[in-house]
Amino acid sequence: MSINARPILVIGGGIAGMTAAVEAAEVGHRVILVEKEAYLGGRVMRTHRYFPKMCPPACGFEINTRRLRQNSRITVHTLATVEEITGHAGNFKARIRVRPRYVTGTPSLDGAIADQLESERDNEFNLGLGRTKALYLPHEMAWPPLHVIDREALSDADAAKLQEACPAGAIDLDMADEELEVKVGAVVVATGWRPYDAARLDHLGYGRCANVVTNVMLERLAARDGPTGGKILRPSDGDPPRNVAFVQCAGSRDENHLPYCSAVCCMGSLKHVRYLREQDPEIRATVFYIDIRTTGRLEKFYQDMLDDEHVTFLKGKVAQVDEDAATGNLQLDVEDTLSRETLHPEFDLVVLATGIVPNTADQPLPGDLAYDEYGFVTGDGATAGVFAAGCATGPCDVSSATKEATGAALGAIQSMYGGD
Amino acid sequence: MKDTETRPRQTGQETAPATAACYGPLLVEPDLPFIRTIGSRIGDSFTRCMQCGTCAATCSLSPESAAFPRKEVIWAAWGWKQRLLSDADVWLCYQCNDCSTRCPRGAHPGDLLAAIRQECIIHYARPGFLARWVNDIRYIPVLLAIPALVLALALKLRDPLDALLGFSARSGDRIVYAYSSPFPHWLINGVFFLALLLVLTTVVFSIRRFWRHMKCSLEKDFGLKQVRGVWPSLGATVKNIFAHHNFSGCTTAHIRYLSHPLTFFGFLALSAVTIWVITAGINPLIKGEFIYPFAFWSPWKVLANLGGLAVAAGCVLTIRERLFGTAYNTAGNYYDWSFLITLILVALTGFATEVLHYFRMEPHRHVMYFGHLVFVFALLVYMPYSKFAHIFYRTTALVLAESFGRKKGVPPLGDGPRGGAAP
Repeated sequence: MSINARPILVIGGGIAGMTAAVEAAEVGHRVILVEKEAYLGGRVMRTHRYFPKMCPPACGFEINTRRLRQNSRITVHTLATVEEITGHAGNFKARIRVRPRYVTGTPSLDGAIADQLESERDNEFNLGLGRTKALYLPHEMAWPPLHVIDREALSDADAAKLQEACPAGAIDLDMADEELEVKVGAVVVATGWRPYDAARLDHLGYGRCANVVTNVMLERLAARDGPTGGKILRPSDGDPPRNVAFVQCAGSRDENHLPYCSAVCCMGSLKHVRYLREQDPEIRATVFYIDIRTTGRLEKFYQDMLDDEHVTFLKGKVAQVDEDAATGNLQLDVEDTLSRETLHPEFDLVVLATGIVPNTADQPLPGDLAYDEYGFVTGDGATAGVFAAGCATGPCDVSSATKEATGAALGAIQSMYGGD
Repeated sequence: MKDTETRPRQTGQETAPATAACYGPLLVEPDLPFIRTIGSRIGDSFTRCMQCGTCAATCSLSPESAAFPRKEVIWAAWGWKQRLLSDADVWLCYQCNDCSTRCPRGAHPGDLLAAIRQECIIHYARPGFLARWVNDIRYIPVLLAIPALVLALALKLRDPLDALLGFSARSGDRIVYAYSSPFPHWLINGVFFLALLLVLTTVVFSIRRFWRHMKCSLEKDFGLKQVRGVWPSLGATVKNIFAHHNFSGCTTAHIRYLSHPLTFFGFLALSAVTIWVITAGINPLIKGEFIYPFAFWSPWKVLANLGGLAVAAGCVLTIRERLFGTAYNTAGNYYDWSFLITLILVALTGFATEVLHYFRMEPHRHVMYFGHLVFVFALLVYMPYSKFAHIFYRTTALVLAESFGRKKGVPPLGDGPRGGAAP
């Protein structure tokens, strides 16, 4: 039996893609890892802590980057997308487009130069909370540890300033798109997810009420490198919240939005309650839910929280959120389905547990992949030699994503045995 | 009985009511035929409900405690027929379908409550077979044949009866018919009046039973006490009905805030004119000759024409919403359409008769008038069995709800969020 010497193409450099890449590389396979952002780590890097152990993702990420860095078999392309895939199992041809970073990396750049710039852009790593300079490091732990220039945001004056201040060759403002063509033996799809667009949840106040935030925004508010330096504060006035509502299934399990359960939002919100309780021992939190879905080892996390007198669980889906214009507080309309009373409680911060949308929902990958009606990649009818893992296949938490990624890496390796 | 025992535990409050006295023994076993009947009318989407409470919290009419329609949806899924049929809340709903629009499961609670109201009418109406006929499309020929035969018989018997009784009601002392009509109006009025009297008598008994069941349910199941007398409640309810307050808060089927008052006031106008005409012979207010039909510009004719136009316009708006609007899950079932079509046919045949009469088209105007009378009979005499019966049932439920203080704005039992209750 012969083994195909072609590399494995991994699309997506989040936790699933990175895992698949290092697992395949560490057993001797070459891997090409393609990530569309300027850094690896994906959604997980924007998380403050993991549930249920409450450890920061940075430490797990650090291990993965070390494995990646030490392994010469892995080639990483950031700011890159796969444009075309042709061929068949064992023998694919992929066309990769790499967008310019405008920062070459050699010689290295002193990041302090960014402070002298005037051009700014929305901080998309912080989900639009706050701004960065047009020359920026995506985040403190970014890997590769290189700055990026937002060419569109960079003014001509700032461009001239950079040209003058940077060492020769450190930046190249004329850098253009680059196209690569690679031959690969198998493909792992780990294109991940994005949060459901909360702007569509107008009845829950998002975009209409300043103090209605989403769960992913709360992760950034809680993070030390986030827009508030790790303090969870009300967007309207910067005050620390005293009484917070968590609206579960904000879009998920709803035929008008996402008909499926997003699987992680229950644990996500319970984790957020922990953030708040650690920040302020007197804070009160109420979780409005249809069902609390914490299975297996996650159940204990929930059971412990039920004993917390500061935390209320109220069974009922929130129908409406309205703002008191004077205080910025929020009034909810909800039926407590256990006591059968319709309530209109008031809170000073509302967190919407928005769900998981596959990135492939509206941007299907090139090649012949099968998707379900929501855009998740399915195994059925998929091209042989193409494997999917993580949230590309369905909503899942980090530990399942890494397991799936390991399985996908094994599947990719197996598919290359005995081929041409 | 094993599975029935687990139900109360799963849903907290949905335990069996304290008493079975309201409606005889309460069956906890699912009434499967009832579930199937509802399913045959609106589909089985209501069984997809996951009891999230969105509907109850969205509703602009639901009381703050034990709100509808969430609890009704699970009662229906369980086939809890008796409890639903004595539930006043079902009639507090105006099917604006804001709940169905928001429902995350596509369970269409608004349509479900409409179907339960239909079951209520069929359940309480007497004789039961007539209710089944009126709500079954296969009986259209029978139901139309009854008034047609009655009217034909009246036509046939005109001359013998005139001869027998020795007078002709066509030329009463004061009433002057400005045209020759083959119709013996005194006979038709008499037949209609008797039939109407008969069915309205049955309504009295139906409503009494309905009232008793609802009252018992409000007292025993909801633990409510009467807080207001029946007559003041009736006054408040009539005022509410005329003002159409309960249609005003709806966003999804907002068009009905226009279409219902059009039909409602149009029908009232037509009824007023009709009563004025058929009681002309005994009306002390009418001095001198009463000439019928009215001249086109006589105030009564103007009122009748405006009323007819309003009814027709209201029906057209409703039909348009049912067929092309987004407010309803389904275009409605036979119960909705038979009432709607009968109503618009009464208006249309009325106008057609009027036009044919102006042009003196013989015998078309008489044929059309015959048809008009058939539809009027169908509308009025089948009223207790059709959707039209909502004027009795809804009014009754609204009066009772008013007198028990069961409506929006009455404060809930507790204040602020409560619970901590783990599922």
